[in-house]
Amino acid sequence: MIRAAATTEPAEADVVSLPSSVRDSTFVVVPAFNEGPALGAVIREIRTIIPNVVVVNDGSRDDTGSIARRCATYTLTHLINRGQGAAIQTGIDFALLKGAAYIITFDADGQHCVEDIPRLLRPILDGECDIAIGSRFLGEATNLPRTRRLVLQAAVLFTRVVNGVRLTDAHNGLRAFSRRAAEKIHIRQDRMAHASEIIDRIKETGLAFKEVPVRIRYTDYSMAKGQSSRGAFRIVFHYLVGKMVD
Amino acid sequence: MGTLTLFQIIVVGVLGMLFIGVVVAGIRGWSTRREAFLWGTLCFVAAVATLRPNLTTDLAKMLSINRGADLITYVAIIMMMIGFWTTYMRLRHLRRELTSLVRHIAILEAHDASSSDATADHAMSEERA
Repeated sequence: MIRAAATTEPAEADVVSLPSSVRDSTFVVVPAFNEGPALGAVIREIRTIIPNVVVVNDGSRDDTGSIARRCATYTLTHLINRGQGAAIQTGIDFALLKGAAYIITFDADGQHCVEDIPRLLRPILDGECDIAIGSRFLGEATNLPRTRRLVLQAAVLFTRVVNGVRLTDAHNGLRAFSRRAAEKIHIRQDRMAHASEIIDRIKETGLAFKEVPVRIRYTDYSMAKGQSSRGAFRIVFHYLVGKMVD
Repeated sequence: MGTLTLFQIIVVGVLGMLFIGVVVAGIRGWSTRREAFLWGTLCFVAAVATLRPNLTTDLAKMLSINRGADLITYVAIIMMMIGFWTTYMRLRHLRRELTSLVRHIAILEAHDASSSDATADHAMSEERA
């Protein structure tokens, strides 16, 4: 059983200031599907810390594309919806092509806090790990509904049993990768099962990883956009099939 | 073999036409030889089972199944499941290829705000306003 190292400081720790060389070589990948109402504010917030924001518009039917083009540094457009996993991999491929040294994945619905980006980067910069995974259960999850908490805890247990990796939060969209890690982890699960797949790849590649406390803000908007608890069964099915045949 | 019933004539007629179609498709390269062989064999076996129903009963008894109809049901279920799985896997493969294509186009046509007329910063101020 692989156990994730976890930072012990609380999520409220002071934001670590990043050297400009790190800021300039960090790319934040934001997968977005019909995120018009939240996207502009999310990009603006990220760009206060990191200038390179790559939005992958995953076949949205609303104004996500135009907002991304106006606000983000780079906008990539999936002509048809391919799922969050596919969008993240597209963003990572692009960031690597642009010479990214560090890559962050960040949800477009406004549930993540930009202050957590330096916290995620810090253990990678210190050479402690290649991948930092955000954990709302080590940090803070504001307004987390009980059913969602249960589903997330079931996912943690599932990851522990099936992947043999001990995590406190298996499905957090906020992650940081070193270039080496981003090159090694290729996401093949196009839809939501990519989170479990990433854990698999971490185990297969032997990359060092660490959980970092982060804050998640649950709002009516992010809850409406998030996966339904029933969707969890579909994720498990896709993940298990992928595990068997890939 | 006694006189054929109307049902047997219709079924064997349809299977015969299907068999010819499969053979022609295999020869002309519209389908792979392997697919043509599998479908041809299936048509042949179905036609034999229609013309000689006792054969399936005999085979069922050899396998300790009471009735030929039961044997056909079991075989049909297994074949259906194999069919579903094969179709699912092909669909999965196609989806993956589609994703690669969509990804390739997305990266090729990436919009870079710094190279467009309006800078991202200017656009962001507009967005705030």
